[in-house]
Amino acid sequence: MTTLAEPDLGNGRNKPIFNNTTGFSTLITVTVLLLAWLAGFASRLFAVIRFESIIHEFDPWFNYRSTAYMVQHGFYNFLNWFDERAWYPLGRIVGGTVYPGLMITSGSIHWLLHALNIPIHIRDICVFLAPVFSGLTAISTYLLTAELWSRGAGLFAACFIAIVPGYSSRSVAGSYDNEGIAIFALQLTYFLWLRSLKTGSVFWSICTAISYFYMVSAWGGYVFIINLIPLHVFALLIMGRFSQRLFVSYSVFYIVGLLLSMQIPFVGFQPIRTSEHMAASGVFALLMAVGALQYLHSLNPKGQWKKLLIVGGLMAAGLVFLMVVFLTYIGVIAPWSGRFYSLWDTAYAKIHIPIIASVSEHQPTTWSSFFFDLHVLVCTFPVGLWYCVKNINDERVFVTLYALSAVYFAGVMVRLMLTLTPVVCVLSGIAFSILLDLLLRDDDLPTAPVEPNDKNLYDKAGKVKKRAPEPTSQADFGLGMNVRSGALIAFMILLMLFSVHCTWATSNAYSSPSIVLASYGNDGSRKILDDFREAYGWLSQNTAEDARIMSWWDYGYQIAGMGNRTTLVDNNTWNNSHIALVGKAMASNETAAYDIMTMLDVDYVLVIFGGAIGYSGDDINKFIWMVRIAEGEHPKDIHEADYFTEKGEYRVDSEASKTMLNCLMYKLSYYRYDSGGSPPGYDRTRGALPGNRGFKLTYLEEAYTTEHWLVRIYRLFEMFITSVPTDSVVYDFLTVLAKRIENFMMIAAGCGSRLS
Amino acid sequence: MMPAMAQLQFCVLFLVYVATQCTSTNVDTVSSGINIKNVDRTIDISSQLVKITSKVTLENTGKSPVKNFLLAVEGTGKAKLAFIGTKDGNNKDLRNVETDVKGNDDAKFWRVDLKESINAGSTASVVVETVYTKALQPYPTSITQQEEQLVKYLGNLYFYSPYPVSSQKTNVILNTKAVETFTKVKPFLQLDGSISYGPYSNTAAFTEKELVVHYKNNSPFLTVTRLERLIEVSHWGNIAIEETIEVEHTGAKLKGPFSRYDYQQDHHSGPASVRSYKTLLPASASDVYYRDTNGNISTSNMRVKKDSVELDLRPRYPLFGGWRSHYTLGYNVPSYEYLYYSGNEYLLKMRAVDHVFDDMQIDELITKVILPEGTTNIKANFPFAVTRLPDSLHYTYLDTKGRPVITFTKTNIVENHIQDFQLRYSFPRILMLQEPLLVVGFLYTLFLCVIIYVRLDFSIHKSEHPHKD
Amino acid sequence: MTSIASVIPKLYQEYTTKTAKKLKIIDAYLLYVFLTAVIQFVYCCLVGTFPFNSFLSGFISTVSCFVLGVCLRLQVNPENKSEFLGLSAERGFADFIFAHLVLHIVVINFIG
Repeated sequence: MTTLAEPDLGNGRNKPIFNNTTGFSTLITVTVLLLAWLAGFASRLFAVIRFESIIHEFDPWFNYRSTAYMVQHGFYNFLNWFDERAWYPLGRIVGGTVYPGLMITSGSIHWLLHALNIPIHIRDICVFLAPVFSGLTAISTYLLTAELWSRGAGLFAACFIAIVPGYSSRSVAGSYDNEGIAIFALQLTYFLWLRSLKTGSVFWSICTAISYFYMVSAWGGYVFIINLIPLHVFALLIMGRFSQRLFVSYSVFYIVGLLLSMQIPFVGFQPIRTSEHMAASGVFALLMAVGALQYLHSLNPKGQWKKLLIVGGLMAAGLVFLMVVFLTYIGVIAPWSGRFYSLWDTAYAKIHIPIIASVSEHQPTTWSSFFFDLHVLVCTFPVGLWYCVKNINDERVFVTLYALSAVYFAGVMVRLMLTLTPVVCVLSGIAFSILLDLLLRDDDLPTAPVEPNDKNLYDKAGKVKKRAPEPTSQADFGLGMNVRSGALIAFMILLMLFSVHCTWATSNAYSSPSIVLASYGNDGSRKILDDFREAYGWLSQNTAEDARIMSWWDYGYQIAGMGNRTTLVDNNTWNNSHIALVGKAMASNETAAYDIMTMLDVDYVLVIFGGAIGYSGDDINKFIWMVRIAEGEHPKDIHEADYFTEKGEYRVDSEASKTMLNCLMYKLSYYRYDSGGSPPGYDRTRGALPGNRGFKLTYLEEAYTTEHWLVRIYRLFEMFITSVPTDSVVYDFLTVLAKRIENFMMIAAGCGSRLS
Repeated sequence: MMPAMAQLQFCVLFLVYVATQCTSTNVDTVSSGINIKNVDRTIDISSQLVKITSKVTLENTGKSPVKNFLLAVEGTGKAKLAFIGTKDGNNKDLRNVETDVKGNDDAKFWRVDLKESINAGSTASVVVETVYTKALQPYPTSITQQEEQLVKYLGNLYFYSPYPVSSQKTNVILNTKAVETFTKVKPFLQLDGSISYGPYSNTAAFTEKELVVHYKNNSPFLTVTRLERLIEVSHWGNIAIEETIEVEHTGAKLKGPFSRYDYQQDHHSGPASVRSYKTLLPASASDVYYRDTNGNISTSNMRVKKDSVELDLRPRYPLFGGWRSHYTLGYNVPSYEYLYYSGNEYLLKMRAVDHVFDDMQIDELITKVILPEGTTNIKANFPFAVTRLPDSLHYTYLDTKGRPVITFTKTNIVENHIQDFQLRYSFPRILMLQEPLLVVGFLYTLFLCVIIYVRLDFSIHKSEHPHKD
Repeated sequence: MTSIASVIPKLYQEYTTKTAKKLKIIDAYLLYVFLTAVIQFVYCCLVGTFPFNSFLSGFISTVSCFVLGVCLRLQVNPENKSEFLGLSAERGFADFIFAHLVLHIVVINFIG
């Protein structure tokens, strides 16, 4: 009890939030964090308010579907779930190919609420999960920053991360994706890592490992952690900052984290088999060697060992490195995967893996998007970084490395902006805290200026007004009063602009569910275009239960989630050749496409056509990627150049190439498309009159087209054998034969199992 | 435990009662003292239902006064019969009971009890109303998008009755001139939108003669294949109603492609398809929602009228023959309009089924009533025979032992079944305090825990300081 | 090289005189765990790693035991008091037990 009177110096280390010198500062901390949570939560609700509580976009639909499956069938059935609705005819073992953290999180929330008799639909839990977790992220960011610098800076950082667009872009209500909870896990892991490094306590290391485990279960981005922390350790070793605390925290974290991470079926043995994880084990071995040498040195602390220590350390490092290279060479350890290569060489994906390059969020980041996602923080975070480097200690080495690597990755891929955002918030929090500290500080305290740790705890923006009278009374000591208040006002304006920008960006750029579109009339009235759900609803009600729908992979998850029908390819793009086959069908002429489609047992074909309403994300605009991917696998049949005009333009009007005008995608998009304003048949998206019109379809018929022509569904004629070229008959015969053989095998297997 | 047992017991008793009422029908004989003097029959087949209204003039040709008489439905129509109702000359409902007549096994009989008995030699007039579902067959069974829907009606040219009929007239209402073929038994007269037969005189009892009309009928052929109606009663002043509805277009099936172009260009395209329909809700309905498993269906309009709320529901896609749709419709009504109480005794009076669309036909209805937690002594009273399913429990916010759920089902329902059922139950009003107290108690313990946590020091190393020093 | 050879007996002497008895017990434990790990490794080199997860969990659990033992030793050693501020020996031991609890739950799950 006596410790309560202890002044809050030395970073407030070892103290839980509640156990403070004054209840007042705790109150402020808790209030600010709660408000940050609330603000973060509220600012993510634009989509729900404007539209409804609905799952957004593509991947979230899969996550939602599997969560619903887990809630319905239980956890173990979920882990063993073989989804025959996806990747027809291959199917997908869902339990082994997902990061289950997201589903488990919302599933357990659902279970808890239902145990308390609160009957919330699992959809609502999924929709609101990310906004709720943004509050937890704010709290863990606060803890991280408080660990790094001061609690005031932590409060700043928490407020920033709660509303910054770079993070809310991935966590608005309805965007039910791994990133929503992963950023929380990321920040928590880093905080616990720093905490364990500082104290050298095994307990905190274990907590770090557990938090890391959660991160592994939630998102593939865990690789960032398992490379950044070893990098930190390595940097500390090189800087001669080895300590026993470092030894304890890293070795315990690594070994337990390694074991935990292998519990996730999807990760499996990767942590000891692939190059991405090798840095961590190398550093572990190195740390062991250094620790042993250090111990020997401590036994006999005389000069002769110093040299041996250094030489031994270097030799150990070299040995570990050579070992890894050797193992990679003989094939025990898998080399870097393509996605990681594309991080080093931005042009790699474009050449070798078109399917990665075709996703817009894998494009390099533009400068404007840095500013758009981070606003004023872009300018202030170098300030924080500079202060961290200036007052370096073990933890600040970490944040420096974190910042530098994250900036690099964010520059490579738009998507990785997400990893940059938290560290930017942390460093900007520090910067703002320092600046405000400078402006509000009582200058007559001599201890204050150098040691930033013992600053007062009230330097939170919201609290400034209350403290304002104090500096004015003492203004004549340091900076002039006018300068202070002027700067203060400038900062307030800056922060205000920031929050206005955040709200604006979140509301306008990131809050569209993308399955419900809204258009605005001249009088400001809003019209909802609900074509996607119209089509998926039609599919779910009016097609056979086992109907197979062919579409481009973007819509696979939505068809499975909303239409509840079998798809050929979906957003889990693991099988490139299957996708290429679908791409080939879309890019071929009708006859060739029909062969492929009968081979794949397709019943319906679904295309997205935005020409009638000017929706630019439709299939014709994506078509060139289908051609590229198909060409990658079938270079004999598909040539990208055939789809361009002689001048190398991509067009759909009468000047377009013949291949283009006769391919399946073109025909399905423009079949009987003669409405759409003046002149009739005008394509608003591409601003052109289609070049091939009035044609008939031989092998397909229109099954359904939505109100605004956005989704068009075609039915394949069954048993069209009479006029089909012989190839397809052969295919049919082969499939029948294959099925016969399969049946026979199954019967045989059944007999076998009965015998045994 | 006791109330649950009592409920169970009651339920079993009730089921036995219903069962006995259904199976052990009374046996009647056809009285020879009744003669039907005149029948004026209207067969309305302009919608998807067959609605037959017959004005029957009964004459007592016997000696003694007649207290009741028999109604019959031919064997071919009895499976399709959804509703039968009788009224006397003053438009007052008469009670009818299902019954059996020896020697006539394929037909189905009802005994109608008259308010005042008919004395010998005098007459009385009665109005008999019957509604048949699925009695109109689309023919051809599948049509293309542009074609009109043609249906066939198969009925009885004569009024089917256990008594001889002296004179009868039949008027068939079609609301269309486009008639392909129809039965021609003189005298008949085809008018604009209707065909009238008769008068025919002196038909014997149980006479059947086929009446066939093949004509154009583009009215919506929509069947609600399943309707689940959930009524959640709260004593805090609100009754929440949620209906989960599965609809299917049961007219002629769509053959060939659906063309959006034709459908958009030409408003006469798809004449048999259903773009939207109107649902009437109680006038006090509020917070209406209309959604399916994929979220809100944004295409609907609501108009508040004097005696009802009219919803113009548009399914996500137009319904062609064979196409299905399903949705959920929910709303709240204030409980004072439906819930009456004196002391601890409550009476709930609500519609067993409500309007979905005009001339609706519902294959299967399941109505569930969720009563507040702590309700006992539930007694139900239904306007028509239903199958009551075993009671269950439902858990929702702040429940501890669950709310009793009364469930009953009925098949083949039409608009005439929109009637009130009654539930009597007792509920100690003091139980209303249970839920607020639970919340208060929970918050209290929460704060207590926080206070204790803040006051006490749980950390290991601090407690161990004294050890070491 | 000669210097190393001459140093080893010196080291041994230093160790026997300077190290507290409590630490020696831990060292014995560490030696035992280390030998277990070596035996496992040799076994898998000779016989093969067929149930790979079983081998991994066994091997990693010994490594973790070793690491945790070393950590305990570091924290218990009174010479390192300044390194581990606010960490008493009892706290170290409690952490050690907690870590083992977590570790073995995971190992049992993983061993299959």
